[in-house]
Amino acid sequence: MNIQEYIESGIIETYVLGLASPSESAEFERLCAQYPELVAVRKKFEEGLEKHASTHAVQPPVGVKVKVLEAIGDTATSGTRESVSVNPPNIINMQNETKKGSSGMLRFVAAASVILLIGLAWFSYRFYNENAELQRSNTALKDKLNSTDSTLNKILDETRDAVKNPNTTVVNMVGTKVAPKSSANIYWDSTSSSVYLVVKNMPKLPSDKQYQLWALIDGKPKDLGVFDATDDKVILKMKNTQKAQAFAITIEKTGGSPSPTLDSMQSLGKTQQMQ
Amino acid sequence: MGIPTTYNTEQELVLALKQRDNQAFSTLYDNYAGALYSIIKQIVTDNAELASDVLQEVFINIYRKIDTYDQTKGRLFTWMLNIARNASIDMLRSKSYQNSQKNQELPDNVYKGTANQSTQLNVDNIGLKKVLEKLRPEHRVLVELAYFKGFTHEEIAEMMSIPLGTVKTRIRNALLQLREYLQ
Repeated sequence: MNIQEYIESGIIETYVLGLASPSESAEFERLCAQYPELVAVRKKFEEGLEKHASTHAVQPPVGVKVKVLEAIGDTATSGTRESVSVNPPNIINMQNETKKGSSGMLRFVAAASVILLIGLAWFSYRFYNENAELQRSNTALKDKLNSTDSTLNKILDETRDAVKNPNTTVVNMVGTKVAPKSSANIYWDSTSSSVYLVVKNMPKLPSDKQYQLWALIDGKPKDLGVFDATDDKVILKMKNTQKAQAFAITIEKTGGSPSPTLDSMQSLGKTQQMQ
Repeated sequence: MGIPTTYNTEQELVLALKQRDNQAFSTLYDNYAGALYSIIKQIVTDNAELASDVLQEVFINIYRKIDTYDQTKGRLFTWMLNIARNASIDMLRSKSYQNSQKNQELPDNVYKGTANQSTQLNVDNIGLKKVLEKLRPEHRVLVELAYFKGFTHEEIAEMMSIPLGTVKTRIRNALLQLREYLQ
């Protein structure tokens, strides 16, 4: 290598000013160890650069030095305090150098870790509790949903059977003179004796009164159960009856009566058995 | 401990610094803060507050990294100068500086095009930038972009639409001229 050519290539200045690539820097440092004349030119350029920079120095704001000394002062004193309390001073001198610089950072990291850990524990605890609570209410809801579902399915199955069953008789209950607007449908499965009532339009009753459904068998009324007008548009399963020539709805006192008050008969529907 | 408050040689100063001698560090600040602040201000232009933030960061970094300083690779000032330049360029690329510069033209726009347009260069008449004025314009732009804006040679080649080899040669030639001026 022609070292003079290398010196005049501009690599020295490029290196000193931090503009050389890593491979260029590595080569330059290797050659510096080999050629003192290269180092001499480098040093001259560095000195010129430093001199130039010093003569063109700009006075920095006064507060900066104080801040810098405070920042490094914290680091230095904390490092000394730690090591003095643990070890005799003449033993730790060597370790001191490496420890001091990072101990401020270490302390900060340690404190931050502890805070983070406490925070994490608190969050975990909260989340655990919240989760357990959610699981409990979730299970309860699931149970409730299951039982509701099965009840609903049972009702649906039964009503579907009742409605679709060819043996089911649909009895259209029509209003009487007392209550011309009252209307309801009875689905009566004569094979299983099941009776379903669909309220279409029944006037509201005082709280001490309820509607009562009757089956008329050979002229005698049979109680098929009570219902409220609030059960509007709902399919109600009433008591079974094997026979019925007609169905009747009366207004009775809450809980029902042993025999119908015929004056208050709201609607009446005749079955085919009657014909 | 008998620490001298003045240091006859740079070597003495470095030794004291490596022993985390706060007095030595204070002396270091007094001797070099102005020179480094000048370089920082030439890179982090138009924002004195951010420039003094960088200076503070630079001296804290010098204190922390003094153990990595290798005297065989260069003078202490060279080492500190590179720390200051790197910190300044980091600041240039930081959000806070970008936000403070929003209303100003981007360097891309300023420097794009031929070297003849270099009259647009916003060279402050201080420090190294003053020396740059003596360079040939096509060289000056490249040094400005590489040294004061922190662009890599590859980025500059792309930006100026000139071959990478030409960028390298021109920068080296420009820096060689710099050596003449500094002597």
